[in-house]
This record gives sequence, structure tokens and C-alpha cells, in this order.
Amino acid sequence: MTSQSVDPAGARPPVAWAGPPVAGAGAPVAWADGHASEHLLASYAAGTVETVVLWSVEAHLTGCARCRSALSAQVDAGRLARNRSALLVRVALPRQGRGRRLLGRCGVPDYLIDLVAATPSLRRSWLLSVLGVLAVVAGEAATVRYGWVRAGGQLGQARPADAEVLAPFLLVAPLLVLAGVAAAFLPAFDPACRLAVAAPFSGVRLLLVRAVSALAAALVPVIAAAFVVPGPGWLPVALLLPSLALCTFALAAATVMDPRAAAVTAAVLWALPALLLAAAHVPLKIVQPDAQWACAVVIFAAAVVLWLRHDRFEWGWTR
Amino acid sequence: MDQMKVSTAAVRASGLSRQYGATKALDNVDLTLERGITGLLGPNGAGKTTLLSILATVNEPDAGQVSVFGLDPRDGAERVEIRRRLGYLPQELGYHRHFTVAGFLDYIAILKEITDRRRRADEVARVLAAIGLESRARTRIRALSGGMRQRLGIAQSLLGEPELLILDEPTAGLDPEQRLRFRELLSDLPVDPVIVLSTHQADDIAAICPKVVVLLQGQVRFSGTPAELAATAASRVWAADERDPRAHLSWRGGDSRWRHVGDQPPDGAEFVQPTVEDGYLLLSHAAGQR
Repeated sequence: MTSQSVDPAGARPPVAWAGPPVAGAGAPVAWADGHASEHLLASYAAGTVETVVLWSVEAHLTGCARCRSALSAQVDAGRLARNRSALLVRVALPRQGRGRRLLGRCGVPDYLIDLVAATPSLRRSWLLSVLGVLAVVAGEAATVRYGWVRAGGQLGQARPADAEVLAPFLLVAPLLVLAGVAAAFLPAFDPACRLAVAAPFSGVRLLLVRAVSALAAALVPVIAAAFVVPGPGWLPVALLLPSLALCTFALAAATVMDPRAAAVTAAVLWALPALLLAAAHVPLKIVQPDAQWACAVVIFAAAVVLWLRHDRFEWGWTR
Repeated sequence: MDQMKVSTAAVRASGLSRQYGATKALDNVDLTLERGITGLLGPNGAGKTTLLSILATVNEPDAGQVSVFGLDPRDGAERVEIRRRLGYLPQELGYHRHFTVAGFLDYIAILKEITDRRRRADEVARVLAAIGLESRARTRIRALSGGMRQRLGIAQSLLGEPELLILDEPTAGLDPEQRLRFRELLSDLPVDPVIVLSTHQADDIAAICPKVVVLLQGQVRFSGTPAELAATAASRVWAADERDPRAHLSWRGGDSRWRHVGDQPPDGAEFVQPTVEDGYLLLSHAAGQR
């Protein structure tokens, strides 16, 4: 591979052109009529002249168009082309941004960051749509709440009747997290999934890297919104387990059924009880202790299934 | 490399069958691949893509065995080892359209476990230069033409200098000059890999494949050299001034004479030198009669 690298200017074998220009004695002529000889230019292009000569040739070249054009004939076109393509690729590859450096400092390997760049739910457009949906449901809850309660009503002390304004938020928030994770593992969202399957990189590892990064990316706005909506103070924390339960359930179910069906099943298993409780005017019950226990059990069971059947992800989705 | 010496054939498949619903995509297929290029010839729906995806460890067969460099894809660790030595161009390669050309290759290189950033950049530069797309490194994939995307697909299959190269219709969408460059590219590969490529262009086969396998309706109907395939049509290809209705196929050539391919040449027919295509046409016609 080294032949493909950009040749470093410093790593050259030293001294082929010893001493000042001397005529005669069999030594090749370095300078003639105030111009660099063909032989000198060839050595310069090959990078085999000693440092002092190198400087004088360089100083001369800046002011002499004739020698510059003579030099271009001496350059190894193949090496030039290789260097050119290596440089073009370097420039085209993702840069070291601030977020990258931060993740790198946290011990995340460089290549993993490049890998998750292909996850659709980490793209700006996806995150913006998540924010949009959250703004609608949280805004709706806030509007209704503050329309009902006179100024001076305290945030975080929603009375049972007021909890009803939270129903849309409670329905949607964990589903947004699920959607983010589903987009990270459904083959329909990975156009190059056949290549990923045929590559040696572990399918389980790829899946987990994508799912965890999508989970984190979706949880941040959801939890932030939970702080903003008028609800009990524990609401942000109470959303964690249900979100996690939905995602792990979907992943575990994908080892026994079609992954799309698995994601839809998980969504239905959340939406149905959420809607029923909302209809019974107790929407908050979906995140209260009984439900939290149920979520913990689901997470545990799903983790066991994933552990036992993780091989399923190594073959890919084609069967 | 040691495993190469143990088994003479680098890739061996025996008794492969695969069914999609009521359709038999593969029906008891035996195949061996050696170093060098093997061409897989067959009409659409003959099972070429299924066969190649099974060899690429992407699909599982319903029945039969595959051995790649002595490794068994049913075993988890051995399957990963096969994938480390594999370059695969699927027939319908999807692209992340927002990726740049270099970014996409970089992504695939990570999946191929080239985790060192510098080495990856060098490798991406190498395959881009090989396929002549280096000036497009920063172009987004959605802005590429179909032929360029196909070349990008070939480029990604070359990442990591694979020992087994599985190319599903690599010349589809390439113009004649690019097809010639592709042939040149295969001849110039730094390592001498096992290459299997599918195509329905008989001239590709005749030009670059020392070995050809004809797959018809999920079964191997011919396996040998292109010259042998052409020879199967000996004295079944003839030229005449008028169209002969007994021929399976006939067309008027550039010299405005009729060229006939069929099983019943007339008495005193003027036979012409058969081509690979003639052999293939007769085989597929015979298969259609069953």
C-alpha cells in the first residue's frame, strides 16, 4: 500500500549531487548557460539531489519558466497520478469536526463514527422531523394546559384532569425513539445492505452500533421535550424504560419474524394501551410504576432473546 | 494459500437447490471455480443471481453444500473468513445517494475491516484510480450517471484485494469503451483472484473468460471453454441467400445474407464458423423445448 501513499518530501535518499557545479572530470553538467541541465532536473524530479542543490534549483525554478517546463517532462506521470488520486480522496473524506473530536476523546474509534454516518436516523433531516413532531405534541399540551389554568398555576403539579393534555405526547414520544432505531436497522433504510451482509464486519456489531447511536440521538430531544411539557417532574425519567423496552422488543422480535413486522408490532404494543388509557382519562398510567415494571420485564426478556439468537443477524435479512 | 494446495478447486458447490415459493431458482447445481475468470451465462431468471448470492454468503441454499477456499459458510467463524477474502458486486447494488463517491467507498472499506484511516484512504484511492473515477471523488452519488455508478460498484468490490471476486452483471450499463476498460482492469489485478461474473453478453465471455458455465432454468447445462461452447454448434449454423423456416433463429447479417441457427440444416448447407453465442442459443432453445 505504501506505493499509494503521498510521497513525503523529507523521506528521500540523500546526496546524489555532491558539491558545486564542476565542469569536466566525467561529472554530469549541472548548470549550463544559467539553466539547470536535463540531468539535474531529472535528479530533482526523482528527489535524489542533496538539500543545498535542491534549494538552489527551487530558487531558480521560481524565476525560470523554461526550466519549469523542462522539469515537467522529467516528472514520473504514474507517481504524479497516484499522488493526485490519493490527495483527491483525502480531501473528499469526512473531516475531523468538533463532534467527531469530542466522540474520539470519549474513546469512540474513528471508524465507528464514519460507520454510523450511514444511519438515516442520524441525518439532519430526520432529526429535524423528530423535533417538528415533538414541537407539535408538546406545544399542543402546553397550549391546552396554560389555556385551562390561570397564570400562577405551577408547572410540574399537573392534577389528574390536567394529565389528559399529555396523552398525545405520551403516545408519540416513545414511538419517535422506536422509529429512529427501526430506521437504523431495517434493511429498507439501508440501500447497501447486501454489501453489509457480504462484508466481514459483524452484523450484530453493526446493528448495535447503529441502534445505540440512533437511540441516543432520539432520546435527547424526547427527554428535553419531556422537561418542557406541563407534566409531573419525574416524566423525563419515566420515558426512558418504555423507550428502551420498545426498541429492544423490536430488535428481539426481528430475530424471529420479518424486521418490518417486528417494528410494527412494537409500535402497536405501545400505541394500543396508550390510547386505551387515554380514553379512560388516565394517560399517565402508561409511565407509572406498574407499567415501568412491565417495561423492565420486556427489556430483560428481549435481552435474553437477543443474546440467544444474535447469530440471526449475521446471515443478514435475506432469509 | 495453504488451503489452495489442499483442494484443487478454490470454490466448490454441490447439489445446490433454492426455491422461491413455487419457483425453482436453483435445481441441484454443481459448480467448481478455479483461479482465473469463469463466466456465468444465462437468460434473466435462470438463477444466476441466486447462485452468486449463495457463493457470496448472502443467501442460504435450501439444500447442498458450498466450500470456499476449504471453508464452510455454515460455520460462523469460517463464514467471516470467507467474507474477508471476498469482493462482491450484487446485481442491484443500492447506494446511499447522499454519500460522496469517496465517502461511500470509505464506508464499504470500514465494513471490510480496513479500520486504519490512512490505509483506508490509500485503498480508496487505489480502487478509484483503477476504475478511473478519481476526479469524481467528491461527487455525490445521486449526481453520477448509471455507467459511473456501475463503475463505483466494481470499485467497491476491489477494496481489500479480494481473492474471490463475485460480479453479478458487471458490464450492465457500461458503454463499449468502458467494457473494454473493465476487461483490461480484470487482467491487471495485482493478485490473481478467483473471479466469477455473470452476464448475458456472449462477447464478454468469449473475450475474457477461459471457462464458461451456462445456467438454464436453474440447472447447469454446459461447463467448459468458450471454444467448446462454440463447437457444440458446429454444423448447425449455416448461411443462405433466402430465409430457411426450419431454423430456430435466423437473421440477416451485414453482408445481407441470412444466418441460420438450428438443428436441421438443409442438405448441402453452407456451414459457417459458429460463435459462443450460437452455442448458447442452441442450448437455451433445447432447454425451452423441454
